[in-house]
Formats: sequence, C-alpha cells, structure tokens
Amino acid sequence: MSKSHEWQRLCGGKAFEVAWRIPLIAWQAVFFIGPLLFMIIISFFLVKNYRMIEAFEFVNWFKMLQRATFWDSFGYTLLLASLSTVLVSIIAFPASYGLAFRVSSEGRRWAIFLLIVPFFTSYLVRIFSWYVVLAEAGPLNAVFGFIGLGPYTMLNTAFGSVVGYMTLTLPLVIILQTISLSNIDRRCIEAAYNLGCGVVRVILEVIVPMARTGLIVAALFCFILSFGDFVSPYYLGGSKPPTLPILIIDTTKSGQQWPRAAVIAVMMMLTLFSIAFSAIWYAYRKRVAS
Amino acid sequence: MSQPIVQFLDVTKRFGDFVAVKNLNLDIYPGEFVAIMGPSGCGKTTTLRMLAGLEVPSDGDIFLDGEIMNEVSPHERDTPLVWQSLALFPFLNVRENVEFGLKMRGIQADERCLRAAKWLERMEIKAFSERNVDSLSGGQRQRVALARALVIEPKILLLDEPLSALDAHLVIRMQQVLTRLQRELGITFVYVTHSQSEAFAMADRVVIMGDGEIAQVGRPRDIYREPGNRFVAEFVGRNNIVTGKIESVAQNTAAISTSMGVFTVTVTEDQRIQVGIDATFVIAADLVRLTNTKPEADNVIACSLISEEFVGSVVTLFLESVDGHEFKVQLQERYLAEIDLKSDGSLFLSWPSASAHLLPV
Repeated sequence: MSKSHEWQRLCGGKAFEVAWRIPLIAWQAVFFIGPLLFMIIISFFLVKNYRMIEAFEFVNWFKMLQRATFWDSFGYTLLLASLSTVLVSIIAFPASYGLAFRVSSEGRRWAIFLLIVPFFTSYLVRIFSWYVVLAEAGPLNAVFGFIGLGPYTMLNTAFGSVVGYMTLTLPLVIILQTISLSNIDRRCIEAAYNLGCGVVRVILEVIVPMARTGLIVAALFCFILSFGDFVSPYYLGGSKPPTLPILIIDTTKSGQQWPRAAVIAVMMMLTLFSIAFSAIWYAYRKRVAS
Repeated sequence: MSQPIVQFLDVTKRFGDFVAVKNLNLDIYPGEFVAIMGPSGCGKTTTLRMLAGLEVPSDGDIFLDGEIMNEVSPHERDTPLVWQSLALFPFLNVRENVEFGLKMRGIQADERCLRAAKWLERMEIKAFSERNVDSLSGGQRQRVALARALVIEPKILLLDEPLSALDAHLVIRMQQVLTRLQRELGITFVYVTHSQSEAFAMADRVVIMGDGEIAQVGRPRDIYREPGNRFVAEFVGRNNIVTGKIESVAQNTAAISTSMGVFTVTVTEDQRIQVGIDATFVIAADLVRLTNTKPEADNVIACSLISEEFVGSVVTLFLESVDGHEFKVQLQERYLAEIDLKSDGSLFLSWPSASAHLLPV
C-alpha cells in the first residue's frame, strides 16, 4: 500500500519532471559540452613530427595569440559578420514590417512558406549558383554591360562573402522579425497614433522598442551563422584575407596543427558566447523599478 | 445652445459587406458627458474610433470643432482615447508613458516633466513615476492611461469601455473619479460602454445603439422611464413589456386588451393612437406593487413566484402569470417581510395607469 503510494508520488512528482529533462541534458552533454571540453584540452597538446602528444603547455596559445595574422583574421571575421548582421537586419526590416502590418494573414502565411523554401536546397548549392551569377562573365555583369556599366569584380571580394552570408541568413531573419512584429499589440500602435505620433516615429519609438527582443534575437542568429560560416568566405570571398573558419582549416592542413586550430576554435566560441550573452541580456533587459 | 463640438452627419461605416454603422447623425456639445451604449457589435466602438480617426467613414462627414475631419489622420487630431486594454507602452515607465503625447508635440523635456508631474499628482500616482507600468495594479494603470490622455489638455476625451477589466468595487471608485474629473475640467467626455449602470451613473446624455443605428438619445432618467422603442425597453432591462391591441381611447387614457386582460395606460396628447392597432407598453420593475390580496385597482395580474435575486438593499422577484408571461418586480429588501411569497398563483401585481409607458407606435 505504502509502496504503490510512493510510486505514484514519484510518477506525478520530481522523478517524472527529471525524466523528461534527461534527453536534452544528455544531448547537450554528449554533443556540446563533451566536444567543447575535448577541444579545450587539445589546445594544450603538442605536435611533434606531425603527431599530437598529450601535454599541458601554453605554447599554442602564446603562438596563436601573438600572431598578427590571427588578429587580422579575427578582426576581419568580426567586421564581415557585423556588417552582414547590420545589413541583413536593415534590409529585412521593411519586408518584415510589410508582412506583419500591411499583408493579410493569408498573404503572411504564404510569404513565410516561400521564405522557408530556400532551405529545401543545400546552402552549398545556393552558393555555387551565386558563383555563376557573380562571375566576371556572368549574367549580372552582362546586365550591367547592357546599360554601359562594369564589368565589376564581385567574386573573391568582401562583397561576395556578404552576398553569401545574406543567402544563408536573410530568409531566417525576415521570418523571425515578421513573427516578432506580428506579436506587437496593435492597440499600442494605435495609441501612439492617437497621441500624435506620426508614421515614421511610430516605427522608431514604438514598434522597434516593442519588438526589441525578437529583432535582437534575429540579428544574433544572423551574426552567429555569419561568424562561423566557412562556405561563403571560401567560395565567394576567395579566402583572402581568411576568416577564422578558413584559418582553422589552413592551420590543420599545415603540419597537422590541430592544437593551434583548437585555440582558434576556442577563441571563436568565447567571442560567440560573450556576444550571445550580452545580446540576450540586452534583449530581455527589464527597466529597473525604483 | 452652443455650437456642437462633434457632429456626425449621415455617417456610414462598412467593413466589406458588413455595415457597422448606418446613417449615424449625432451632435455632441462642449462640456457634455455622453455615453454611447449598446450590446456587442452594435457599432459603438466603431463610432468612437471614427471620431479618433482610427477608422475612416465610408460615407458621410464627421466634424470636430466645426472642421471636417474625414481626411485628417489620427496623429493630427487632439482626440486622446482611453483603451479598454489601456494600451500603455510596456517599454516606457509611468512618467514616460504620461509624457509621450507631449514629446510627440515637440514640447521640451523640462516642461514635459513639469506637466506630467502635475497629472501624476492629480491622479495620485506620483509615487510610481519611475516604476514599470506592468508592476502597477489595475486601478493604478487606469490612472496612468487617464493621465497620459489628459496631459495634452484636449477639449474632448474618448473612452472605450475603460472600466470593464476592473473589479466591481474599483469600477464604482473610478466612476466617481471620472465624473469629478469631467466636472472639474469642463471638457467633453465620450464614453463607450455596454454597461447600463456605468452609462446611467455618469452620463449627462446616453446614446443607445443597436445594429449600427441609434435607437434612442436622451437623459438617463428619460431613457429609463420612457424607452423610445422595444429594443431600448429590452436593453435597459428590469422592464416588463406587454403587447396587445388598443381597445378604446378616452381622454388621456388608452385601454389595451391583451391575453391577460385589459389594462389602462396614460397617454400624452402627441401620441397618435387609433383603436384597433397593435400596441406595446412598459412598466418598470420598481413601479409594480406586489400584494397577497387582490387590490381594488385597474391593472391587476395574478402571479406565482419563480425565483428571486438578492443584491443587498434591492431584491428582484421573477414571477409568472397564469398564462406564462414573465414579470419582474423590484422592491426594497426591508419590505420583503410584509409579503408572503407563494408559488400557487396567489400573488397579485398591480400598477397605476400613469406608471405604464406606451411605446411609440
């Protein structure tokens, strides 16, 4: 009697709750925390005769962090990812605003469906199609030539990388922005008009602050995806100068320097962690009540 | 009478095939407290929103202070609205919410602060100036919404069911706040509500709407005692409605024959009455007498008690006549002891002819 009672208490109580959390915790442990720890440990290993030796030396960290090429690459990656984040957020906003406020709910559903369609095709395939479009003798330059411009070099430039980043992130950012704008209480917008706020000021002073969390989360996604992307800067950006993901590949190829590559990867993780944490903190920041 | 501050001229509003407001004609005068009342979907909120410019009329003209408003966008009007949901800005604190309208009018920060402080004090929410709006109680938020609307010193304030989300005791309190505020400021209040008690308690004039049209406009007392038609008589509630045919007319009294017998109703001279036409009359529930013995009077009906509803000092009794017609009687709770409430048809309703009101034909 008391045993079955105990069993019921467990089922309905703590054990039941914990059981549902285990898969997520296990997944994170095996596929995220584990590899992360492994990577950190590797960064202290040594390489002798193209073979890794277990050790605990700071030599890789000193070597990498003293290299100008690392910091150049770090700055360039940060710049490109930030540029892509700002551009994508600005380009996406009018589209999201239109979808959230000017289109019927049926139109909005179709638009979101169409924005998901690009993900049906592999990102790599989409980048290769840009490779054709942006080429010196490609269709885009043909159009420019027709109106008496160009030809422009678009491949193997920062422009190419940013086009690639946008291909990856723009549909996602529009979807996230549209959802967050759609959730704004319309009566607050009407209240702003009612109190004498014009159309442009309503966007800047009411809509953007009210959708702040969603807009920041969308931008954060864009930054994370761009910062860690290898494909665009490699194929469209020509890897000159290399971004951090390209530098990782180069480092592993030159003399099996896995520990030094791990240093770069750990630095990337630290950067992303600090940016993600501060963005989320800012997005959900509540005003301090006195 | 002075020039109306608001004028609706044949205003119609359609949403696709649905007609929300039909040929509305209404004048509102400066300093009036007007309540627009009606059931859900009667067009009262649409009427208010057209006044604020949040909806554009499909037909007709709206004048505000003598100027035609049809093409004026909402942010160019001084018609602040207090929303049912209050629609306070969650990303601004209490003071910033109140200052919003002033900021939009390009008023300098220090003057803004001064004018907002005056209203925060007046609405007794100064202590919460720097607080988040969502940390306030319902009543406090209500005061923030009022301060935010009134700080721009408008000539007219629009209110869309502002009290419907509050607890009953707060509603009474806020009614007093609103009535006093309107008296002190002397500005026009246009108050939309579905609640008869709110409208009757506060308004100088009540507009009753049904199905997109005005059913009656008048002082609360007049609407209560002399409903203009069956819709109003039913909406105002606590009315007993009886229909029949006019049998005879003598001087200022009409005799109406119904399934429950013949009843007499006092009529005025301007009511055009012909013998033989259908007629409906109304007796307010508080004007009916209830006795255990059959009184020597003109209008008497034998009834049984069905149920009673007790709301403190007043009791409403629901009764049924022999042929199944339902009647309501409202009386002071302290008189209840004088009557033996029985369900065997031995209760008698009676009323003087002058208490019955014949609806216009």
